[in-house]
Order: sequence, then C-alpha cells, then structure tokens
Amino acid sequence: MINISVLLIFIPVVVSILIYLFKWKHMNLIAFASQLLITILAVIYYNEFSANFEMTHIVLGGWDERIGISLANDNLSMSFIFLSIFSWWMVMLYTFKWGKTEHTFLFFLMFLQGVFLGLLQSNDLFNLFVFLELATIIVAILIAYKKKGESFRSAIYYLMLNVPAMLIFLTGIIFVYYTYGSINIFALTEEFRDVDDTIILRFSYVLMMAGISVKAALFPVFSWLPKAHGVAQSPISALLSGLIVKGGVYLFFRMNFLYEGAGFAYSDFFFFIGAMTALVGVMFALSQKDMKQILAFHTVSQVGIIMMGVSSADEEIFFGGILHTFNHALFKSLLFLGAGIIISVYRTKKVSEIRGVMKTMPVVSVLMIVGMLSITGAPFFNGFISKSIIMYGFADQGVRYWALYIVNIGTATSFVKMSQIFFGPKTLSYPLKNKAQNITLMFFALGCVMLGNFYIPFTEGFFGIPFDDITVASLSNIFDYFLTLSIAFVFYKFVIAKDYLPVRTVRNTQISFENGNLLFLIYIVAMLMYFIII
Amino acid sequence: MSRQILLIVLLGVIFGVFTVSILELEELYNSFGKEYFLEYGAQQTGSNNLVTAILLDYRLFDSLFEAGILLIAVSGVIWISKHDIEEKNAKFMIDKYKTPDLFVTFSRLVYPLMLTFGFYVVINGHLSPGGGFQGGTIVATAILILYYIDADKETNIGLIVTVEKVVYLLVILVASLSIFTRGTFFTNFFELGASADQKAIYLVLLNVLIGIKVALGLWTIFTAFLKEGR
Amino acid sequence: MDDIYGIFKGGTLMNPILTFLVVLIGFYGLSSSDNIIKSVFSVTIIESGVILLFLNLGNFEGGAIPILSEGVTSIVDPLPQALMITTIVIGSTVTALSLMLCIKVFHHYGSVEWKEVLSREDVKS
Repeated sequence: MINISVLLIFIPVVVSILIYLFKWKHMNLIAFASQLLITILAVIYYNEFSANFEMTHIVLGGWDERIGISLANDNLSMSFIFLSIFSWWMVMLYTFKWGKTEHTFLFFLMFLQGVFLGLLQSNDLFNLFVFLELATIIVAILIAYKKKGESFRSAIYYLMLNVPAMLIFLTGIIFVYYTYGSINIFALTEEFRDVDDTIILRFSYVLMMAGISVKAALFPVFSWLPKAHGVAQSPISALLSGLIVKGGVYLFFRMNFLYEGAGFAYSDFFFFIGAMTALVGVMFALSQKDMKQILAFHTVSQVGIIMMGVSSADEEIFFGGILHTFNHALFKSLLFLGAGIIISVYRTKKVSEIRGVMKTMPVVSVLMIVGMLSITGAPFFNGFISKSIIMYGFADQGVRYWALYIVNIGTATSFVKMSQIFFGPKTLSYPLKNKAQNITLMFFALGCVMLGNFYIPFTEGFFGIPFDDITVASLSNIFDYFLTLSIAFVFYKFVIAKDYLPVRTVRNTQISFENGNLLFLIYIVAMLMYFIII
Repeated sequence: MSRQILLIVLLGVIFGVFTVSILELEELYNSFGKEYFLEYGAQQTGSNNLVTAILLDYRLFDSLFEAGILLIAVSGVIWISKHDIEEKNAKFMIDKYKTPDLFVTFSRLVYPLMLTFGFYVVINGHLSPGGGFQGGTIVATAILILYYIDADKETNIGLIVTVEKVVYLLVILVASLSIFTRGTFFTNFFELGASADQKAIYLVLLNVLIGIKVALGLWTIFTAFLKEGR
Repeated sequence: MDDIYGIFKGGTLMNPILTFLVVLIGFYGLSSSDNIIKSVFSVTIIESGVILLFLNLGNFEGGAIPILSEGVTSIVDPLPQALMITTIVIGSTVTALSLMLCIKVFHHYGSVEWKEVLSREDVKS
C-alpha cells in the first residue's frame, strides 16, 4: 500500500514504452486503461493517507534516510497529484482519435506524466534536479513536435535558457551538500532549524531560487514562455501553462519550507517580483494580436498574481495563492483548448480576423465565455474566489492593493478585446466532428463553476483551512467586479482599439537571446544584493 | 562596450560572493556521508567500488531516470531528424572524402581491443573503477570506429531502438525484483545478510544491462546525426 | 579537520576558485554570443565547470579513491562522484538534442545567428 507512490511514477513510464514498442492502432485504449488504474491507485492512497501518518514517507531501498532517496507526500502534493492526473486525462481525451494512435506523441506525453508525478513527490534535492532536467528535455521535444521552422527556434530558445538555470540550481545543491552532509529534504529541514546564519547558506538559497524562478517564468526571465506557447499545439500549451509552470511554483514552496528554519525575509522581495511579473505580463498581453500569444502573456501575469499571494507570510493569503494555482490551471487549460478548436476551424490566429464564433459554434463559445468570466474574476466563478481572498489580505496596504487592482483591470480589458470574436455573422460551417474535444471543455468549465460556488468543502478537505471567516461573496466585491469591467471597457474603446504607437512598440519588442541571459545574471546579482547585503 | 562592462561587473560580484563562501566552507565542512560509506558501504552492498555501490544500490532510483533520459533523448533526436516534405529543398552535406588508409588499418587493429576493454570495464564495475555507464560509452565509441572504416555502413535504427527499449524495461524489472524478496523497491534482490558473491551477481547483471542500453543509445544518436549529414 | 583545507596551502583552495571562474566564463559566453552554436558550446563549458566544481570541493591531499582495498583508511567522498556521473550523462544528452535542433533551424532559416532566426516572421522553407 505504501508503495503506491512508486507505482504512480512508474506505471505511466512503463506504459509509455509499451505504447512506443507495439505499433497497434488501438494502443490509445491501453493508455486510457493505465490512466484509469492510476486514478484508482491515487484515490486508494489518499484514503489511506489521511488516516495514517507513516504512509506519507518512504525511503527507497530501506536505507538510512540521510543516505537513500525518499519520496514524501503531504496535503499539498496530494492535491497537485490529483490536478495533474485530471489534466492528463483531459489532454489525452482531447487528442483521442478512434482507431488512430500517434505513438511517439503518446510516448512523450505519458513519460512526462510519470516524471511530473515524481517531481511532486520527491524528497531529495539531486533527484529533484534529475526530474527537472528530464521534464525540460521532454517539454522541449514536445514544443518542437510539429517540426515547423518556428517550433525549432522556440525549442532551442527554451532549452538554452532553461539548462543554465538548472545548472545554477545544481551549484546551490553543491554548497548545501558540503556544509550539511546530506541532500535529503527532511533531514535538511531538521538541520536548518538551529543553523548559524552564514553567507554560504544565503548564497545557496539565492542560487536555488534563481534556478526555480526561470522554471516558474517570473519577472526578468519569463521570455521563453510566450515563444514556447505561441508555437506548440494547443493541448501542449494547455499542459505547459496549466501544469508545468505550476511545477516551478510548487518547487518554490518546497524550497521555502526547507529554508524556513533559517529565517530569511523573502516575502517582500518575491512580492515585488510577483507584482512586476503581473504588470509586465498584462502590458504585453494588451498589445498582442495573436490569440495564443495573448493567452501566453496572461499565464505570465497570473503566475505573478499567484506569486503575490504565495510570498506573503500570512497563512490565509498563502492559501489564496495556492487556490489560485488550481483555478488558473482549470480556466487557462479551458481557454487554450477552446482557442485550439477555434483556430483549427478558422485557420488564422489573429483576433481581428475571427468573427461570428457564437453563431458558428455555440457550445464552444459558451464554454469559452465561462473561461473568460473566470479569469477576469466574475462572481460565481472560481477566479472571483481566489482573487478576492488575495485582495482581502492586502485590503489595508495601499500600494499592494492598487497593484492588484490595476492588473485586474488590464486582464479584463484584454478579454473584452478577445470577446469580439463572438459577435458577427456566421461565416463558416462547422460540422461537429470531434465530440471528445467539446467534452473536455465541458469538464473544465464544470470545474470552474463548481470551485466557484462550493469552494469551502474543497479547501477544507485538502488544506484544512476554513475560509468562511473571510466574507468573500460580499456586495462590495461584486460591485468591484462590475466597476473593473466598466473601466476595462472604456479603456479598451479609447486606448487599445486605436492601436497607438506605444502599443505597437510594446508588441514588437523582443527579448533577444543574449539579453535574456543578461537579465538572468542581473536577477541573480539583485537577489544576492538583497539577501546577503541587506 | 557598456554591455561587456556590465557583464564583467555582474560576474565579478558573483565571483566575490563565491570566494567568501569558500573561505567559510573550511570551517563548516561536514563529512557525515563519507564516513558512512567508508564504514558500511562494502558490507551492505557487496561491492568494493563505493561509487558503483551508490549508483546501483543506495541511489538506484536516480540511475533509472538517468537511463531514462538517454531513452528520451534518443527518441527525440530520431523524431526531430525525420524528414518531412517541406524540407526536400534543403541542401545536405555530401560526405565524399575518403578516409586515409593508415587510419583505416589502425582502426581495424584498435577496434577489438576497445571492445574488449569496454566489456571489461562493464563487468568489473564493482571491483575497479567503471560500471554500466562508463563501459557502455566505451563500447559505443568502439562501434563508432566502424563508421570510419566503412563510410557507407547502413544501420537499422528501428531495430536498435526497439532492443534498447526492451533492455530498459528489463532494467526496471531487475530493479523492482527486490519488492518480492526484501519488501522494498529498488535495491539488491538478495537479502541484506547474503554473501558478497551473491550480491555481486545482481551488480554484474545490472551493470551489463545498463552498459548495453547506453551503448545502443549513443550509437543511435550518432547514426541519426550521420544520416542527417548525408 | 584542521589539515584538510588551509588558505596557506594554495593548491587546495585555488582549485575551486579557478573552476568557478570557468563557470563564469561560460556565462559570459552565453550572454554575448550571437551564434546558436556558440551558445551550445557555452552551455557545455558551464556544465563542465559545475561538474569539476563539485568534485574539487571534495578533494583533499591524502585522500584515496573510493575503492576499498587493504590499508585504505581515508577516502574521498564517493557521493559527489556518483552524482556527477549522472550529470555528465544528462549534459551530453542535452548537447546532442540542442545540436540536432540547431541543424534543423539551419535547414529552415538558412542561418544560425540568433538575431536573424528570432526576427523572421513566418518562414516558408
């Protein structure tokens, strides 16, 4: 029973190799069968897990904890495991065709699932590094999967920016190992509780955080994200921005729990980085014309909002940030998959050329509208809940509150712009060929609505934090939303639609490769200045 | 010019912090791991080579995924290098020069020696420096010499990749056998108290499988690059 | 522990410092290269530097290699060596993948300069 954690990692890996070996055309049914097996195992494990504390920690090989590799689970990682299994179900359903299996694609996809589930559970620093590198390589191959010119250049840009960041993470591990003799996270957390404050400790913290920030696409180093999303296939984009980027945020929490005993004051610095990420992301998103680029920049800005929530020392805002992680995974995947369907029917990516979606594909448009309402934070949808919690936490701290407010206005403006695609006459006919894709959209939309209304049992069940003492659905919050929406509408009409010169310059700025790495170095030095000198 | 100066200043700051940390490391150095391996390593795992003991027993989970990375990279390189219709106008490098005869003769001499050396390194991984990964690379290099000898050699990539994946599944299987004998995954399937010779069976088996897998993987990557250039 | 490191024993402390300099040179190359192949080489240099750094910090005079035979009492730490075997394999596979991507970029765009490759809008090959 306790070995289920290992099975969760290895069943997708072994099944993926079998899919690659046997070229039978109904092989994707085997993939679904294994996915069902994993879901059942995860549910069994969760039931045993909450009752029995020993289930959470397993040392592979039965060796001493400080020498062997161990896997550990807690509430946070269990919730991420369920989110990942759900997302992979949806992606497999979206790309399912009866009687035709793309073997190589399923091979990489299932292997990535095994690696990601391992990343969530691993309790050993070097093992985390191996899983991170493996995930980077598989994602680079999946970005280049379509084999067009732009796929290759985005893939090499992604690889050349992420691999040095991983090597910096490894340098951080080096210092920790030589100072404390072990690279097991539980053993190190115990050690750090009564540690002296030395420069080497801070240096290793800075190095590890710098590596993780590139993975999580934070402010100076997010330039790989829009390039990668613009060219990948829609299900890969949905997976990448719904889940793999969140892997970076998950590691951010883990590293902060590890260094908790050392007592660094990281919350101001990372709030600032989060705010900059959110603002810069929204600014770029407003200036783009390509639908997938807009969504990609919104991912950057929502990760900024998550970082604003997660970096605070207050427990409730922290859980607001985690809740926003889940909500964002749901509605961003919904938007990307819906955008994929729309783009494949209209054969163009520019928002200005797509019109009449409501009349051509009514089901898809309704579901997309659900997604748009969620991301802008409409009441009764899940974005409202998490954004209100984070804003409630900052209600009496002037600058932070207004930063979040401005980001919300920007998000709403950009989706007002995107909602133009729904109006207009019917231009194309759309035979309902692929029901499976619509079903996946419906699942995500259902998730958004359910989390929007019944969030209390969910958060109590997984995190143990009752949120009912925060009055979320108060009239003032609802009024805030409509005010935001009207300001956004006005802003759009008079500023963005005219496509003034500043908007055009922002759209055409490209961060060249050497500047990307220069920004990474500047980021490391800024962190060194902050954590070591101040 | 200002860019170079900015770069040098940034790198200088990082270098300064590093030097200060190194000076601190002198006092803080912790050798818990080293003492544990010196005392218990050989008797718990049955191997005199402590590095192989770590790779194949204490941290076998990492080694499985390291072999997995090779698998992914091979499949990725093959997928990316397959030609689509769009590229039929691309110009390929044509490899028409002939290798000098002296080189061909020496390669013929060296090839069996390298192959034997590679096998020796793989099989003796638990007694002398070496192991599956290192020996597999040597065997792969030996096979690559064949390409110098005969520039038009044709290899069946599909077969090699299939064999490689089957060998990887075997590696996972051997690693997981310990769940039945010892109750926990990913360690030697003989008991903790078994003699060193019995434990060595597991080590040699795993080393040979990993060596085969690494050799086939590197051979495939090189062949894919060569095909790209023809 | 007193005779393991010593700033007066110039040899054992210079090694990590010089190795870190190699890593920084790699980063310098990465941030000022206009050619994709040069960036791949810079990443290889960074990776070699990090591997050597890990091994150098654990090295000291009088330590034997971690293979037990008679009369061996003080060994160099074997864990970094095992971790670095894994890192070398990871690094070489990443290099292979990036070089294959470079070849494909060259086929589609006709050049391997970052500026040209990133600024073309929509290319037909």
